[in-house]
Amino acid sequence: MPLSKKRIGIVCPYGWDTPGGVQSHVGDLAEYLISAGHHVSVLAPALSETDLPEYVVNAGRPISIPYNGAVARVLFGPIAFARVRQWIAQGNFDILHLHEPAIPSISLLACWAAEGPMVGTFHVAAKRQKVSFAIVPFLEPVIEKLTARIAVSEAARETLTEHLETDAIVVPNGIYVDKFKNGRINERWSGNTLGFIGRFQEPRKGLAVLIDALPEIIRAIPDLKVFVAGPGNPQDALDLMNPELRSRFEFLGRISEAEKADFLTSVGLYVAPNTGGESFGIILAEALACGASIIASDIPAFNSLLGHGQFGTTFESENSQDLAREVISLLKDPEIRKAKAQLGKEYAQSFDWDVVAEKIFDVYEMAMVGGRSVTLSSENRGWSKLMGRGE
Amino acid sequence: MSTTFIFLLVIAFIAWYLSYSATRLDRLHHRVETSWANLDALLQRRAAIALEIARSEASDPAAALLLTHAAHQARDASVRERSSAETGLTGALGILLADVDHVTGDNERALISELRELTEKIKMAIAIHIDAVNRTQLVRKKPLIRLFRLAGTAPAPVIYEFESDAI
Repeated sequence: MPLSKKRIGIVCPYGWDTPGGVQSHVGDLAEYLISAGHHVSVLAPALSETDLPEYVVNAGRPISIPYNGAVARVLFGPIAFARVRQWIAQGNFDILHLHEPAIPSISLLACWAAEGPMVGTFHVAAKRQKVSFAIVPFLEPVIEKLTARIAVSEAARETLTEHLETDAIVVPNGIYVDKFKNGRINERWSGNTLGFIGRFQEPRKGLAVLIDALPEIIRAIPDLKVFVAGPGNPQDALDLMNPELRSRFEFLGRISEAEKADFLTSVGLYVAPNTGGESFGIILAEALACGASIIASDIPAFNSLLGHGQFGTTFESENSQDLAREVISLLKDPEIRKAKAQLGKEYAQSFDWDVVAEKIFDVYEMAMVGGRSVTLSSENRGWSKLMGRGE
Repeated sequence: MSTTFIFLLVIAFIAWYLSYSATRLDRLHHRVETSWANLDALLQRRAAIALEIARSEASDPAAALLLTHAAHQARDASVRERSSAETGLTGALGILLADVDHVTGDNERALISELRELTEKIKMAIAIHIDAVNRTQLVRKKPLIRLFRLAGTAPAPVIYEFESDAI
């Protein structure tokens, strides 16, 4: 990495203590940058002060609001805004990195309050909503302050061009490939097995699509077993299905990172039947790194991550018959499975933090040309003085 | 009384809005300038590497001649001719990189991989610059901003035409 050490401020809009893709991305990135010798401060809302890593600054208690089909724990309001301004004024940052700055959150507030080199990362991929006509005129002047934008996938980039008419550089989410590439095969999970990881009770994870496809698959492959890992109550899922199917299922509950690597390495086929709401699909990147054979729905994020069928097979989203057909032909053809998985494992190297963080830092460097550092914007400096809080 | 008050309020709002828009536009112009400076520096570095490759053993005399010519043209081009000159250099480098497998020697390999990295960065820099230019042009076209000449004497930014697929 670079010779000069930088002061980097990262804003995470979602509650730090709730698990989520953006939070873990920010955490991994911050740790990577710190190990490279930079000074990193992460501003994030959190429920409690305890258990926060040293580099995280608590911005206050997050509020739960429904957003984009899920409940998001975010934070905004005058007190939060004051904290954001204080963090920016005291941080003396060379660069600010704002995650998801287009939703009502401290990222948006930071973008509004600051001036100087700023990079925004857009994670969400969503269809154009009617309300955006009302929101965009407010968002535009704020978002255009960002020196550079990053989208985590082609799908997220398209969302951005569609909503805000602005382009972005695609830098994928990162994983630590080393954690995954040496998983061991566990006999219990290998063979004619299907694997599924995720909060299976959420409809958009698509477990129901898989359940509907099972009878047909079992007719062709009688010794099939399905392993489901992830938090949730198995009874609810078991109640949904035909009693004959129940014996095929095994629920493993939440599994550790090490178990996850073994699990993905062992299963005959990893199934991702998600019906939407994914913008990247980090689990597929992890599965690729393990060398797993993958069958996933053809939602835009998965399609682009799997190289449009090059590194894993896709089926028509929410179409159980198509899923059944593809699973049967894959389980009966180990050669093609192996070939795709091998390609995928090599491709997964491009998601490694060594590659991803370097790319993000390249964007930082481009944003930092000109040598200005981050300050409160002129509007906000005036406001602070008026309130007797001059810097 | 109340009409005067409302009148003053409206005037104050318009004044605030104009100053706000001027700041916004100023920021955008700054973004265009810095993103151009960044792109310019990267392109200069690319021309320098192209010259080094031309002098190294990676290129035969014909390729060396082509590269040297293209690199010098890219370096000396005026702003107006810049993009066609850079596209020329891109083409020359493309021919060389097409059969990069023949390249041996540590020094040559290092040059090629540096060029690869630089190419990635240039792609990003172009995207950043074009976005800044687009936004600035969009804001400058707004009627109020044109009416009050908020852009001042700042020259209108021009899109840098680059065959980004070719590089």
